[in-house]
Amino acid sequence: MDVEELKKRIEEALGGLVKGIEEGKGFIDVIVDLDNIVEAASRLKELGFDHVKSLTVIDYPKENRFRVIYHASSYLDEELAKYIVGIGADVPRDNPRMPTLVYVWRGVEFQEREVYEFFGIEFTGHPDMRPLLLVPQLAEAKPLRKEFIVKEEPIIRVKPPTG
Amino acid sequence: MSGDGGRVYVGNLDRSAKRAKDLVMGKLRMGRAVDWATAFSLWPVHLTTSCCGCEFAATWSPRFDAEQHGALPWVGARQTNMILIEGTVSKKMACAVRVTWEQMPSPKFAIAMGACAIDGGIFYNSYNIVRPWEIIPVDVYIPGCPPRPEAVARAIIELQRKIRQKRVVSKWIEEGWRPDKEYVAPKEDPCSWWRG
Ligand code: SF4
Repeated sequence: MDVEELKKRIEEALGGLVKGIEEGKGFIDVIVDLDNIVEAASRLKELGFDHVKSLTVIDYPKENRFRVIYHASSYLDEELAKYIVGIGADVPRDNPRMPTLVYVWRGVEFQEREVYEFFGIEFTGHPDMRPLLLVPQLAEAKPLRKEFIVKEEPIIRVKPPTG
Repeated sequence: MSGDGGRVYVGNLDRSAKRAKDLVMGKLRMGRAVDWATAFSLWPVHLTTSCCGCEFAATWSPRFDAEQHGALPWVGARQTNMILIEGTVSKKMACAVRVTWEQMPSPKFAIAMGACAIDGGIFYNSYNIVRPWEIIPVDVYIPGCPPRPEAVARAIIELQRKIRQKRVVSKWIEEGWRPDKEYVAPKEDPCSWWRG
């Protein structure tokens, strides 16, 4: 199966839900509407994409949106296992909420928690929406958003105490 | 405390302990033996904070065999007397490091391993790290990212040399605190996020 055929199969499976397909070297990203993402994800799962490899977010402050992308692949289907397909949606920046995909792919539970603490995107319906890695005070600052400014440290420091 | 026909009287334990200490450390001059014994029984606690932990594991593997220096990683903080900070300490882990340090019985020592433990390393300028020397008093630093197992073994030997030449442990026992090193108290409570 080559990429063209894969694209055709995905388009067939998702029907009218596909808003656009972005293609790059070695990956394809399927973009859908935010309201349809649970439906689209379950159809991808029926097609054979049985797990999510990663969940990532890109911040576009000028366009006032986040793009959330789930990278799905397959363990059981040997043909599909060669590809990683991204399924994504745009989330508005001023109201960062989206439906959770935990009930489609169980494995994204912790990754959604991580996105929640780093970007402040809330996944509605998520069973356990707490910060995962950061201390709570830091999670409130949402450190991976573009407007988070890291305090710059000077290059030359006093020597640490020795003895 | 004295035996008398099979009975034992317990006097003032504090005073007896002090007198025993004076006898052993003063009259019998056991100080050097104590230094020597401690130098060859530095047991690091298992607290793997970051990726340097792999090199830490390799150091005690058969090839490099750090056990030949008398160091043996042990599980519980209460049975160890050395802490080897393995690389980055994140804000959440700083609490664990400090709690482990408080639990260890003195005389205790700390080695900071890796560039991250010195000044941030690749996480320099990050929002989520803590320098280990801000939370515990560090004796020896090991540069490198990650340091080779030989470097870790070298640090242990360096610490042994320090203990025996400066007679750290015997002075520590005699005076009740460590004379050659400042006590480090964290400026802000590393566990505040947890206590709320
Ligand atoms: S010094 Fe290098 S190997 Fe060690 S914790 Fe830091 S990044 Fe990891």
